[in-house]
Amino acid sequence: MRDAPHAPVSVDGHSLDLDTVARVARQGGVVQLDQQARARMLRSYAWVKAAGRRDDPVYGVNTGFGSLARVRIQAADASRLSTNLVRSHAAGVGPDLPDDVVRAMMLLRANALAKGVSGCRPRLVETLLAMLNAGICPVVPSQGSCGSSGDLAPLAHLALAIVEGDHGRVRVGGMECTAADAMAAARIPRLRLEAKDGLALTNGAQLTTALAVLAGHDARRLVLAAELAAAMSIEALEGATRAFHPAVHALRPYAGARATAANLRTLMRGSTLVDRVPGKVQDAYSLRCTPQVVGAARDALAFALDQVQVEVNAATDNPVILLDADTAEGGYETPADNKAFSAGLFHGEPVGIAMDVLKIAVSEIASLSERRLYRLTTGNLSQRLPPALAHRDRPELGMMLPHASAAALVSENKLLCHPSSVDSIPTCEDQEDHVAMSTTAARMAAEVVSNARKVVAIELFAVSRALAFRQAEGPQVRLGAGSGEACELVRATISSLGPDALPSEVIAALDRDISEGAFDEVTDDLWAVGTAP
Amino acid sequence: MSGPSVMVGAGRMRCVDLHAIAHGAPVVLAPEARAAMAANVAAAPEGPSILEQKRRWLLGEQAEGLHADALARAFVLSHCAGVGDPLPVPAVRATMAARALALSQGLSGCRPEAAEVLLAMLNEGVHPTVPGQGSVGAAGDLAPMAHIARVACGYAGPQPGLPAFSPTGKEALSLINGVSLTTALAAIAVVRARRVLRAAVAACAMTMETVGAEFGCIDPRPLAARGHPGAQVVGAQLRALLARSEEVSTNRRPDAFSIRCAPGVLGAALEVLDHVELVVERELNGVSDNPLLFSGEAGADAVWIEAGNIHGARVSLAMDQLKIAMVQVATISERRTYRLTYGQLTPGLPSFLVPGTGLNSGFMLAQYTAASLASECKTLSHPASVDTIPTVQHHEDHNSMGPIAARTALRVLECVADIVAIEALLAAQGLDLRVQGRSWSDDGAPVQEEPVILAPGIEALRQTVRARVPFWEDDGVLHPALHAVGSMLRDGSLDGSQLGGW
Repeated sequence: MRDAPHAPVSVDGHSLDLDTVARVARQGGVVQLDQQARARMLRSYAWVKAAGRRDDPVYGVNTGFGSLARVRIQAADASRLSTNLVRSHAAGVGPDLPDDVVRAMMLLRANALAKGVSGCRPRLVETLLAMLNAGICPVVPSQGSCGSSGDLAPLAHLALAIVEGDHGRVRVGGMECTAADAMAAARIPRLRLEAKDGLALTNGAQLTTALAVLAGHDARRLVLAAELAAAMSIEALEGATRAFHPAVHALRPYAGARATAANLRTLMRGSTLVDRVPGKVQDAYSLRCTPQVVGAARDALAFALDQVQVEVNAATDNPVILLDADTAEGGYETPADNKAFSAGLFHGEPVGIAMDVLKIAVSEIASLSERRLYRLTTGNLSQRLPPALAHRDRPELGMMLPHASAAALVSENKLLCHPSSVDSIPTCEDQEDHVAMSTTAARMAAEVVSNARKVVAIELFAVSRALAFRQAEGPQVRLGAGSGEACELVRATISSLGPDALPSEVIAALDRDISEGAFDEVTDDLWAVGTAP
Repeated sequence: MSGPSVMVGAGRMRCVDLHAIAHGAPVVLAPEARAAMAANVAAAPEGPSILEQKRRWLLGEQAEGLHADALARAFVLSHCAGVGDPLPVPAVRATMAARALALSQGLSGCRPEAAEVLLAMLNEGVHPTVPGQGSVGAAGDLAPMAHIARVACGYAGPQPGLPAFSPTGKEALSLINGVSLTTALAAIAVVRARRVLRAAVAACAMTMETVGAEFGCIDPRPLAARGHPGAQVVGAQLRALLARSEEVSTNRRPDAFSIRCAPGVLGAALEVLDHVELVVERELNGVSDNPLLFSGEAGADAVWIEAGNIHGARVSLAMDQLKIAMVQVATISERRTYRLTYGQLTPGLPSFLVPGTGLNSGFMLAQYTAASLASECKTLSHPASVDTIPTVQHHEDHNSMGPIAARTALRVLECVADIVAIEALLAAQGLDLRVQGRSWSDDGAPVQEEPVILAPGIEALRQTVRARVPFWEDDGVLHPALHAVGSMLRDGSLDGSQLGGW
């Protein structure tokens, strides 16, 4: 891992990328509001401030919410309307979200507001960013959002920490306390909400997207680790490399398959273990079809990441304040002086479908990895490796049980991969009659990624041992350029745990290695192969 | 330790007994079980230990010359391959008790000490860290059980208050070779499901009183005419809770399905739950281990018999059934909650159940939460038992995935508990408005009416909720209210059972 110092992240509503969000969420770093974005926000804020006194209704500014848009609200009640919204919407249940997810959610909400179309004050964004810089993390329950109209309940819990009053709770350095105490200690004033502030804080699928950014970031790392593990296993099982020849993949030119095939060849380059079994022309699918399976997962993941990248810099509020839009565009006669456009930008569907796709893709990566593990540990399938990769001179069962754990994880993923976005339950007196369930999709996707990473960790554990049996044949045995380097990294982790480490401790350590990017040096330039045309 | 001791090995253990142990009840090994175990192990035939034979069979000739203690240690530690977050303490306790119960049947070829060390761990509060994932639920829940056995056998270092236990013969195998994790989780799920289902009937009764439901749907005659016993039991309980109601009466318009069909839907879940409880208790009191040692007939030597008692299919299937049944409870409760928040569907009640809607959003978001949870249940209720992945060198070529079924069943139950809690909270709010005589016309204008006097059973339920959560005149923070009612539902204080009927 390389921890180069990063320049402060300037939040402007247009230029966040997934890696930056993941880095701020997990490693910190300074965030600040871009000055031009600040100016844009002030313009739309001025319009909303005036709109509260208008005769014609502007949703959520001088009306109630959801189906209650039919009820008009007096300008004098605007602050109470926003405060009530935040309080009554804080309806989350279940275990609290981890800090990285909440931090990503805060940054994404700040970025959406920085677009300057929400009609809220810059202070809202500045408060969110100050909390990120001070390490103040609101306590947000993980369950209870339908993902439309945005992640209302989770964002309302976040907002409780920002708004004056006794309600919000936060964590600072892992310790839970009241938001009032933490904000006072960090000298961040809490806000008295104004017109539309409540909506601006809560209306958008930022929990879905926060989970999606982190799952996407982790899944990309996982693909590379899985290709690494596959290359090592193909070597350990004395595989045939022709299945990965570029001429083959030019004939069925999926971008993902070509990338995976190219990576496998790069990682295995120079290996003396491959192509050495006389008469063996082809391998089992779990080896030979790695480009087709992992490559398909790459293609699906690329789609999901593209969707998430759009969402990260999108406005997700409702209504949006478009001061410069042509209100008569296309010949529709709409009031020229009403700059509030009520629409559906908060609906979580684009990210929900992407997360359902992502989890299916990732589960297949693990499913293939598990079958390679089975071959590695099964006597008659492993090209004479010892059964279960157990050392004959030691009392142990080798990799028998780690393989069973991998099988259990793969099976659990199948269950969790049942899609969430296909469901919808009408809410809000039939006003919100189709919802995304994108938050559930994203939470399940994060779980599937975590399970899949453990499977690949187990494969790395097992294959590092399988390769040791091959290397024991003599000094003439050479591993591939990438495989050899990765094998040393895996062994270094295992030996750092000492000789008495339990299999479960080794798996946990390698799982952590993958998630923290320990193999980035081996795989760093290989993702680019997948994203090239 | 809390509660009275539970005797292990003295007759049939119920799910509620295991649940009590899970939550801290102390345990004692029954003298007759101790005697049966001692007699069983004394009859074991001479020859190489089963553990040694098993290893030789699995891995070839590597067991030669190894000391039995080293072999047992290696065997247990090699199985410690669990992954994921640790199981909660009650799940670990229930698993240890379930394993001790299986061994106490006296067919495993184990000394009484093998069961007693597990029971001592329970009594001394020695709760091993057990990763929650990594068992395929056949050949037993090997990895999770091994994390427990590691502590029981002293391989994790000495534990204060525990007797030193060094496994001999087949004991290291017997400690891990059974689906005791699946069974323990299943027993906990059965107890929780019953609480949630009772509360769901209570919440349904509260909603029926709130909306002034038509009595016909709980009239015993139509329920008997169809003959499903579950619907009749639920109907009887609804009648008990609604006895002397002035709101629920005959000759009204038939209600929507979420009310009218509630006895049939909740009753269907009850029948599944009754069945599942039977299966789980059978498994709990059976011997999940392999091989088993049976005394020979007419003076012949005792014999080891290898069989398949380590496969978790039966409980795996039962857990899939349970979670699917409970999703019906969830989805129908959510639809009643929807009606309660929907002004036009509940004559006399305001949108989202608070006065001054517009400035107030009231309980709008509570229904979103219920909908979200119901949807999550749909994903999680995808069955686990339909899958199998071959393991262990073609030998364990069909697996049950029972622990996955049981863990996801518990997750579904958490969601259902919150969904039903939301209905109870909203119904209590609606009942309060009725009791206050406050009504709203179709266009939302407030109207004063005669205060309603609630049926005694419903009034008791309303007061149970009100003991923890106040009536809402204006918007407040929903989360603490949901949490409070959710806790009552989980500890059984909102199941209406104190009102008779069940």
